[in-house]
Formats: sequence, structure tokens, C-alpha cells
Amino acid sequence: MFLRAATLALEAFTLGGLAFLLAVALPSRIDSESLRALRRVASWFALALCIAQILSVATSSAILMGGSGFSFRDIVTADFFFMSTALGLSALALFLLLRATSRAALFACAPFALMVCAASVGMSHAAGRLDHRELLLVLTALHHAGTAAWIGAMPFLLIALRNETNQARAARYARRFSAMAITCVSLLVLGGVGMAIFYVGSWQGVYGTTYGVMMLAKIYLLLLILGMGAGNFFIVRQMEREPAPLLLRLRRFSEVEIGLGFTAILAAASLTSQPPAVDLTHDRLTSHEIVERMRWVQPRLTSPPLAALVPPTSIDIAIQESLFRSGTANDANDSAWSEYNHHWAGVIVLAAGLLALLARSRRFKWAQHWPLLFIGLAVFILLRADPENWPLGPRPFWASFSSPDVLQHRIYALLITAFAVFEWAVETGRVKSRAASYVFPLICAAGGALLLTHSHALGNIKEEMLAEMSHTPIALLGATAGWSRWLELRLPDKRNSKIAAYAWPVCIILVGIVLLDYRES
Amino acid sequence: MTHFFPRYLFLAAIFSLVLGVPRLALAHAVLIESTPSAHATLKGPEIAIHLKFNSRIDGAHSRLYLADSTGKVQMLTIAPQVALDTLTAQSMKLAAGAYTIRWQALAGDGHITRGEIVFAVQ
Repeated sequence: MFLRAATLALEAFTLGGLAFLLAVALPSRIDSESLRALRRVASWFALALCIAQILSVATSSAILMGGSGFSFRDIVTADFFFMSTALGLSALALFLLLRATSRAALFACAPFALMVCAASVGMSHAAGRLDHRELLLVLTALHHAGTAAWIGAMPFLLIALRNETNQARAARYARRFSAMAITCVSLLVLGGVGMAIFYVGSWQGVYGTTYGVMMLAKIYLLLLILGMGAGNFFIVRQMEREPAPLLLRLRRFSEVEIGLGFTAILAAASLTSQPPAVDLTHDRLTSHEIVERMRWVQPRLTSPPLAALVPPTSIDIAIQESLFRSGTANDANDSAWSEYNHHWAGVIVLAAGLLALLARSRRFKWAQHWPLLFIGLAVFILLRADPENWPLGPRPFWASFSSPDVLQHRIYALLITAFAVFEWAVETGRVKSRAASYVFPLICAAGGALLLTHSHALGNIKEEMLAEMSHTPIALLGATAGWSRWLELRLPDKRNSKIAAYAWPVCIILVGIVLLDYRES
Repeated sequence: MTHFFPRYLFLAAIFSLVLGVPRLALAHAVLIESTPSAHATLKGPEIAIHLKFNSRIDGAHSRLYLADSTGKVQMLTIAPQVALDTLTAQSMKLAAGAYTIRWQALAGDGHITRGEIVFAVQ
């Protein structure tokens, strides 16, 4: 999924860069130095896309050759190999053409950009459908194109604005980009709504399947991005009066749009590895099951003893079993252990959020130490998240990294520790560097994005979906907190950043409440 | 441009960390019906295997294995696809006992899905 997420994001930025160059920069008569800089950045995205595609096809080929006895000659006849190669070669062609200096080379990029889009769509869900295939391919293409020329083009707008000293020209870029963005949002929404009708098909598909929940996550992120975009829309229309401060605000809002857009692309990558909701006729959650699971009960603050958990198998058996099965079912003690972990994590996060809110006021200076609570959370995760592994279980420390769950939990612990140390130093004034202050929002946003792709192999599809239903809101709140804090730090004056300054502590408080409500039975 | 390179490199490092974490291999080719069905008991010895999925499957690059109760695994020959969403193995004679079909399906986008079907032969 990593490579699918990387290729989707790089596809958006590569095609977005080209769209910006052709539809915004050239018609706005950008100067040659800025044009060269934009072409250089777009070319690097194209090269990265080519490399990511090579890695993707190499990984899939290795899995097929390694585990299943296919030869390389067999693999090259597979559809995915053909599509991936077409995409990779087209990306390479884009890299070479964007590195050239002539305008003709820039226009020559267009057919290769279409090939990239076509190959990517050719590897989407739409290509695998039996019914309505052509319509779904068109809707998917609209969705990809809309994403690329909106979110994908935004970094190029930022680069162009940053390099531009002529404010009238900068205002022209912003206006042209705004017009392009409005068109692209329409295409993206049209494609998305169309696909939702065919892939989800019913309200129960929306709330009762992982596909539906991930789609709701994308819609939430889209609404947030549109909120920022609406702010930019009005800024662009006031640009004649006072361009300089408005341009700065526009750039800051665009940064957040890019970050949230990247998170939405991760959610999209997660969707590509889920079966469409319409195909899951069994094992859907009912509204009653969801309400029953989300119903508030007293949090579990005492743990079952370690000895009461299901004895772990050796790491070799666990890996073997995970190949064809999706994990083993938890018994009551395993569930109680996991709930205890989540509830204490909730207590820590809720306390941190409340202190962070108090720390907004100068009267509660002692509350500035709130980030240190997260070090406790990191230690707690390291010790208790995976009891069958080191330090509580028999599976060795290094060997246990072969389990994706364990690796993800340890990376969380690392991210949380780094975040805690940096943010405490920034909050208490021990570190005054701007770069250090960006660690919290970036890690928060990264953690939220990571959580969108996290799942527990519980051996039972409904239990996995119910776990997903609490992880997804936490992921979205984490991403929202991260980008709110980023906006608070980056906006030029305190008056404009007041909403952002209160939004992120509230998000952390809500994460704590969701964790306290987590249950596995 | 130079002074925001370190920030972008830092951003790239954070997001590489995010993207670099492997995810559990969920995939979107779902088995929607099978013969034999899960936990079925069939009258032997002739058993045909037929799997139907929710989307197109690349039959030429998919695999079917049969494991018996002793753990011995044999790879089955997949018959030419009559429908783009099915995998079929040639029928075979099986002695009475418990068996597991292990299937590996390759979708058009390169996603590999795996699963098991346990059944018994009388």
C-alpha cells in the first residue's frame, strides 16, 4: 500500500505541476527564472514517480516469483506489469521533457501526462469491474485529473508565489489557479459521487463497511480543504486592494490544503486495497451493532494478568499463519487487555488536551508541560501494545519487527516521543527555533495519516471494521490537530490564528474521548 | 529556495516514515462464492473446484493449492477461464478426509489476495 500511496501522490504532483505550468504560469507570463524552477521541481516529481512505479512492479513481481513459482517471463505478460511499465516510461519521458528548456518540450509533455493518467486508471478498481466498466473508468479518470490539477498543482502555486516579487503578477497566478481549482473540484466531486453510487450502492454500505468509512474520511478531508479553499477564494477576489498580506495568508492556507490533500490521497490508497462496499453482501455492520459498540460504558482501568492471555505462537508460525489468514480471533482476556491499553491512552491524551487548552492562557503557565504526558504514552505503547513480543512476550525484539502491527506500534512510540520532546521544549521556551515548532504539527499530521492505514488483524471482519470505526476518527482528528497547529504557527498575526490556536487542543481532547470509548466486545 | 530545502527534506523524511510502514495486506478481490463452500462436507471421490470473485482475476497468474490433513500441499492446475471473475481447477479424485484449498488471486492492478477454504470429503 505504501507504494500505491506514493505513486498516487507523485502522480498528482507530477500532473499537477504540468497543469500549473500550462494553464497558470505560461498564460500569466511568468519570468523565465521562475519557469525554470517550476519545471525543475515538476521533473523531480516525475522521476520520483518513475522510480516508485519501478519499485511497485518489482515488489509485486518478487512476491509472485518468490512465493508462487512464476518466472519473470510469466510476469511480463500480466496486465499490471504492462500498465506499470507504461506509467513508469511515461513518467520518465515527462522527466526528460521537463528538464529541457524549450516551450515545445513543455507542450510535448501533454500526451505523456495522458498516458500516466490512463495507466493509473487502468490499475484502479474500475478496470477490474465486470459491469459499467467504461463509465467507471471515465469517472475514475475525472477524479484523478481533478485531484492532480487542484491539490497536485498547489505546491507549484506556492513556489511561484514565493519566487515572485511582482505582486500584480502574483495576484494573476492566484486568480488563474483559483479558476482552475474551481473546475477541478467539480470534476473531482463528479467522479467521486459517480464512483460512490456504483461502489457503495447503499447507506448501509457507507456506514457498515471499511470502504464506506474510508470514503467518509475522504469526504471529511475534502470539506476541510474546501473550507480553506473558500477562504482563498475570497482572498483572491480582494487581491486588488492589498495584495501583500493577503498573498501571505493565501500561501498559508494553501500549505494546509496540500497537507490535508496528501492525507486524502493516503485514504484513497487505502481504498484501493479494500473491496468496494457493494461487493460485501455478508459481514456488513448494522446500525444497531455500531450503536451498541459506541455506547458509552465505564472505561476499563484495571488489566487482566499477562498469564491469562492466549499463549503466543512462535514468530515463524505466526508469519506462516498470516499468509492465508487474517489473524486470529481474540478471546475475552485479549480484548480486555487491548481495551485497558486504549482507555489508559485515552486518559493520558485527554489530560494532555485539557492542559494544552489551559496553556493557551497566560494564567496557567504550569500547563505548558503538557507534552511530557506523551512520553508516558510512548512507554506504555512500547511495553503493552504487543504482549506476545519483547519485553512481555517470548518473541524476540528484532524478529518481531516482521509483524506489521508491531512495527507500526513501535513507530508510533518513536513519533510520539519525538513529538513530546520537541513540543515541550518549544512550549516552555527552551527552544526558540521555528523549525523545532513545526515538529509537533508535522508528526501529528503524519501520525493521523499513518493511523488511516492501520488495522488490527482480529480474524473477524466485523470486529476489524468496528476497530476501524474508532481508529478513523482518531486519525482524522490527529490530522486536523496537526494542520491547525501548523496554521497557528504560520499565519502572520495572532488575530487570524486564534481559531487555529484553540482548534488543535480541542481535537486532542476529542481523541482522548474516542480512545476512552474504544471497545472490542 | 535553498533555505526551504532543509524543511522540505524534513517533510519528505516524515512522510517517508509514514509511507514506509508496511500495512497488513488487505486487498480488494473478494471471494463471493465457492464450490466447495467453507466447511462443507462433500461426497467424493470426484471433487471440482470453482471460485467466483467480485472482480476480474488474472487466472494465468493466480494459484490454487490443496493441502490434505497430513499437511502435504499440491499445486492445482487452473483451467482456462470461462468467466473473467472465476478460477476453476480440474476435478480430481480425493480420498475421504479433511482438506484446505489455499487460493491466491492476482487482480488487474497487481494486488494479490489470498484465502483458505476448509472442507471435508466423505
